[in-house]
Amino acid sequence: MIQVKNLTKEFGRIDNGGGVLALSDIDFQVRDNEFVTVIGPSGCGKTTLLRIIAGLIPYQHGEVSIDSHPVVGPGPERAVVFQNFALLPWTDVLGNVTFGLDVRGATKRDSQAKAKELIKLVGLEGFEQRLPKELSGGMQQRVGLARALAVSPRILLMDEPFGALDEQTRRLLQEQLLQLWERERKTVVFITHSMEEAVMLGDRVMLMTPRPGKVKEMIDIPLKRPRPPDIEKSPAFVEIKEYLWENLRAMQTHQS
Amino acid sequence: MKSMTASEAVIKTTAAKNIGSSFASHWLLRHWALEIFALFAGAVIWESLGWGLGLQWLPPFSQVIVALFHFVVSGVILSNLQSSLMSLIVGFALSLIFGLVLGALMGRYRIVEKAFDVYVHALFVCPSILFAPIFFAIFGLSDASRVAIIFVYSTFVIVINTATAIRTVDPSLVEMAYSFGCRERQIFTRILLPASLPLVFAGIRLGMGRAVKGMINGEMLIAFVGLGALAQKYGAQFDAARVFAIAMVVLIIGLVGNAIVQTLEHRLTRWAD
Repeated sequence: MIQVKNLTKEFGRIDNGGGVLALSDIDFQVRDNEFVTVIGPSGCGKTTLLRIIAGLIPYQHGEVSIDSHPVVGPGPERAVVFQNFALLPWTDVLGNVTFGLDVRGATKRDSQAKAKELIKLVGLEGFEQRLPKELSGGMQQRVGLARALAVSPRILLMDEPFGALDEQTRRLLQEQLLQLWERERKTVVFITHSMEEAVMLGDRVMLMTPRPGKVKEMIDIPLKRPRPPDIEKSPAFVEIKEYLWENLRAMQTHQS
Repeated sequence: MKSMTASEAVIKTTAAKNIGSSFASHWLLRHWALEIFALFAGAVIWESLGWGLGLQWLPPFSQVIVALFHFVVSGVILSNLQSSLMSLIVGFALSLIFGLVLGALMGRYRIVEKAFDVYVHALFVCPSILFAPIFFAIFGLSDASRVAIIFVYSTFVIVINTATAIRTVDPSLVEMAYSFGCRERQIFTRILLPASLPLVFAGIRLGMGRAVKGMINGEMLIAFVGLGALAQKYGAQFDAARVFAIAMVVLIIGLVGNAIVQTLEHRLTRWAD
């Protein structure tokens, strides 16, 4: 279980007048095997929040813990999927997917076997020897997903993973992510700026407000799983999406 | 009329075939035709200017080649080349080690950068030959003076390039590596080194060129051995043909050094093409 209590994050020093309050009093929990999506306008600190849970940046006040162990850095039970893929341009698909296993000291044989299994799972069989630059954006993010899954994390932290992809690719990857998730039911925190994506994927949507980033509401998504591709037409889906839009629009007009 | 056209056509096709096959068999010509032509044209112009103007400082190209030939046959070049190359290799190797290590530390750690930046840039901008008398005072007429001059000539451009290369590595790759639990040493070996290699090699190539310059300048001004001393000697005698012949040897050293670095670079950074 991921537990976040009274989390506050400042960049710079506020008392010196030069800082920015990125997150203020964030309180929420993500249960085991739960898929939580996080949405909010830009500047609401959603990516900052994810990086704190990933242990990539420190925080000043509050508590962030995983199974009651405070987060002090990255850990083997967590893996991150990045918005810009963050693939190593000098090594091929296989080398990228084995990265996490290699740095954790797995033997070459084990890591390659595991990596090949995951490359197959994300549908990139036959592309093992390709360099990232030879792949489309969608394929690159499949590599990013396979690399994260290769280290067998219990928690998957996804930072707008499909944000840089075109609409068709994004839809395909969303469907595939849902299928993957049905098999393993990992705990997922998924940052997005797409309302459809937030509702389609999540068990709950966390709605955030900007400047400073705060949790406005946790919304249950009462859509049953496994979710079919035409889930978007269901009245419940449309209703939640409309509700999100009302809220997000109010935040935007408030700003401008 | 008709038969003439026919025979002409036959001649043309055979000619075309001959040219085609000779081109095909001459890989050099096919890939380097323009370069070879430029060199050839340069030699012709040099030769005619040399004869036409009759200037003492511009001997015809053929005389330079003759002088070079005599140098090679008499063994003068070989013995001097050996001594020059030894100091070049030692000096460049030291500047590589120093340049890569200090550059990497400066690129990675702000505190190291702040401490050394002003010195590195000052020494880079300052004409390295200014240090010749100082090295002479320290090391005397030994090879160490030459090595030291080559070192200061080439190392700082390597430091600066390496530092920039490490500093500009995509931070998202470093963050990714952290997220998988990489420690600082792994960040270096698995992310920073491979990612910075293309830019590091650009620095190494510049450093190689400067090392060759340092070798000759050092030999002309302090050590009085090797190719530089030879050039100094014939320069004092106003023997332009021999000076040009030595210049050509230096040019070849530079080109070979560059080719070695480029081959290595191509092998290691093919992904960046």
